Amino acid sequence: MIHCTMDDLVAVQAGEGSVWARRHLEACSVCRAELEALYQRIAQLKALPTRRPARDQWPAVLEAIRGHRRDRRRRWGVGSVAAAAGVAALLVFRPFWSKSVDGAELARVKQQSATIEAQLERYDPESRVMSGRSAALAAALEDGIAAVDGELVRAGTTEPRSTDLLKLWQQRVDLMQQLMSVRVARASYVGL
Amino acid sequence: MTLSLAIPDILVARAKSGDLEALEALYRAFETPVYNLALRILRSPEDAEDVLQETFLEVVRSIGHYRGEGHLWGWIRRIAASKALMRIRRDQVRATEEFDETAAGHVGPVGAVPARIDLERAFDRLSETSRAVVWLHDVEGHTHEEIAELMGKTVSFSKSQLARAHARLRRMLDQEGAAS
Repeated sequence: MIHCTMDDLVAVQAGEGSVWARRHLEACSVCRAELEALYQRIAQLKALPTRRPARDQWPAVLEAIRGHRRDRRRRWGVGSVAAAAGVAALLVFRPFWSKSVDGAELARVKQQSATIEAQLERYDPESRVMSGRSAALAAALEDGIAAVDGELVRAGTTEPRSTDLLKLWQQRVDLMQQLMSVRVARASYVGL
Repeated sequence: MTLSLAIPDILVARAKSGDLEALEALYRAFETPVYNLALRILRSPEDAEDVLQETFLEVVRSIGHYRGEGHLWGWIRRIAASKALMRIRRDQVRATEEFDETAAGHVGPVGAVPARIDLERAFDRLSETSRAVVWLHDVEGHTHEEIAELMGKTVSFSKSQLARAHARLRRMLDQEGAAS
């Protein structure tokens, strides 16, 4: 008599057994006992004691989270400085370009950007955030600022049109104003 | 492992916002099941602790993408399983079978199912891949399709690994039973 293989039994246990295997099990007590043993093994596996970590891993996880956040802020800060340096170089070394660049307007927007950035520093990004939506928005805005900073850094090495450069700085100011609104609302919410 | 712990939506929302207290609460809620899953698959407490850390760092990074479909444990368990399996792939050389295995053959008469400690010992003697398939399928309730996707293998691979692992477990338990 041909008996069920373990493949047959595992398939039956999963409700996927072949017609032959199911019919055979009805007639064969040996295979029925084997199937019952399989059920018991699975039940015993589920009943194995739960193991717990010997050491608390949260401090290490927390440190990694904080490190990641620090890196993110540092990248953002470096991007801002590099972008400002790039534009300063353009203004200093390309005076004749100002024929098309409105230097005063660019300087004004740049100053505005620096002012908002300084104000943003007053609101601790590590402070408790109560709204997931606002935090997601803040993260998206920070990413947007980082992207603009990247564009500004590239602008320092190429020859962008003056209007494009001004547009980038205005975009940066706009994003930072939005970020400021989010952070101020958040800080008010937690009573800072 | 069956987990009935329900996580309030507000806690998930706070965790998504980056609230460290909420993230710690999630960690406390799931550290044991994650560690247990990793330990059962990898067997090494150090590796399981590493997987625990990696899993929660991934949770912190990705929780913004969690849309609330299904139980949060299902989502975290998938990350944990993925991290554990990644470790197996990385250390393939360690995944040598302790017992040569032939294809699942015909089964013979079966004796009484031995005590739990014997099963635990036998389970630990399976290869990492076999342990992973058995644990994910029989205990955690993953489907063969899910296991195949996590392992980067086929559904047939998952099914045959499960059958072979059970054949091996049965044989080892019979040996234990005969020896005692």
